[in-house]
Amino acid sequence: METEIDSMTSRQRVLAALGREPVDRTPVCNPTSVATVELMDLVDASFPEANRQPELMARLAATGYTELGFDTIMPVFSIIQESSALGCKIQWEQKDNWPTVKMREPIYEDVDDINIPSDLLIHQDTKCVLDAIKILKKEYGDEVAVIGKTMGPWSLGYHCFGVEPFLLMSLDDPDKTMQCLDKLKKVTIDFGVAQIEAGADALTLPDHATGDLVSGDYYRRYLRDLHIEFVDRIPIPLILHICGRTVDRMEYIAQTGMSAFHYDSKNQPQESIDITQELISLVGNINNPETLFARGPEEVRQEVYNNLDAGVQLVGPECAIPLQTAIENLMEIPKAVRDWHKERAAQN
Amino acid sequence: MGQIVDIGRRIELVPMDSYFHDIAIALYQQHTTIGPSFLVHTYSRIEDVSQRIQFVVDAMQTLGGMELTESRLLRFPCGTDHQLACKRVFLEACKSDPMQLVESRPDTIFDKKANCDITVLSYGNGRYQVTANGDESGKERRVSAITGGLIKLGDMIIVDEESSDQVAFPCGCSHDALVGLLLVRAPNVRAVAREQQMTASRGVLSSPSQQE
Repeated sequence: METEIDSMTSRQRVLAALGREPVDRTPVCNPTSVATVELMDLVDASFPEANRQPELMARLAATGYTELGFDTIMPVFSIIQESSALGCKIQWEQKDNWPTVKMREPIYEDVDDINIPSDLLIHQDTKCVLDAIKILKKEYGDEVAVIGKTMGPWSLGYHCFGVEPFLLMSLDDPDKTMQCLDKLKKVTIDFGVAQIEAGADALTLPDHATGDLVSGDYYRRYLRDLHIEFVDRIPIPLILHICGRTVDRMEYIAQTGMSAFHYDSKNQPQESIDITQELISLVGNINNPETLFARGPEEVRQEVYNNLDAGVQLVGPECAIPLQTAIENLMEIPKAVRDWHKERAAQN
Repeated sequence: MGQIVDIGRRIELVPMDSYFHDIAIALYQQHTTIGPSFLVHTYSRIEDVSQRIQFVVDAMQTLGGMELTESRLLRFPCGTDHQLACKRVFLEACKSDPMQLVESRPDTIFDKKANCDITVLSYGNGRYQVTANGDESGKERRVSAITGGLIKLGDMIIVDEESSDQVAFPCGCSHDALVGLLLVRAPNVRAVAREQQMTASRGVLSSPSQQE
């Protein structure tokens, strides 16, 4: 039964949708960053500092809710916080670009090299996230859902070993690869639990076993059981994020028990809904490079409607948006969601 | 709760203004009662930012022959949007040194590739002809390339097939300052395209596998 639009708080709406429970309207959700250079100027919180200082991180992240009208605030813009704490070298870049791990200078060569430091959670770049979540929770309470992020072990493997060495290991020595993942999962779990304690309402869990390099069978073999374990050991709604075309593994993903899957525009909404069969909520999948970045509000609206027509439970960009994305395109997403619901109510 | 208001459709962005604290400056297009108009805008509230914006607005008037409306928006006197050309005017205005006087560009440039002067003659009815003096060899090719550059950069059109060195704006009006500005980049449109692609590619987050 549909209730009146906006009768729930954003937080209630998001948590309900993650649990596939009734909502007043589809929530607009960003499991990944919606920071832009213009929003950085608006609140005077620019990259790279906004990735390293909690006050700036919280201030910039909040614009997703206060300015864009999303139902979530997600302060962990980058994917390098944990890797930095592990000791990876980081290219911090400038305001208009993303910090990246220097994967050509890996810190591990073998499974025995893996060392999770005891002070992982008090490193500047992990502590920044925890403090930012606390700031946001204090500021916004139960009004809006605060989503943290903890990187999965496959992504950490790429960062720490380098993509090619890690992939080659997975081909040459599956047992050793599993040992690596088993060691690295401690980072995922510890950082995730710490964010729960800081006040997060849900967590994005990116694990980049992407379709271009990793088959669906690889996902089943290496990651599905780990992801099932995360559901037990990180007691909060988890949103798995894997870029690219992933229909070949959505069935396995739906078996993990995770609350949601943040899916890429390379997968059609209807086919994705058909495969996941409401075993897991879907979040997505507005295209970034062609739609949000290069087109206008009309095209954004169409993609929102495509998702809503298919029954996707939470709508938002497919991944971290390009930093030059126009604000009006982002603001179109919640407008389109409301209009879709109003049109449907009028038809009924 | 929010501070963002509807200021039109953003059509161009300088993500980091090197002349003023790396602020982001954008060009927005609005549809007004007097036709398409443009707003130069930043969300930055650093002290003196309004002066920086005013410089860019003034420079666009000089470089592109644009005028200021009563609402302090920019427009072309012909009332047409000339969106592609306007984006170029905006980018060039942002690149102009604020410590130097901004002047409209001349109708003649020296082309290194053909070792000759290229001049764009204005016939006063919106029609322009690209001409070259100096050494004959390669002259025709360069005129053709530069004519093509004006078409690509300014959405200009060939006047007729028999006069492939003559171009005009679809509005049929003269825009001498604008043509002078476009002429600066016309000899090497590929470099312009490369620069745009490089700028656009910054700020796109790649998955770890795509970074390598």
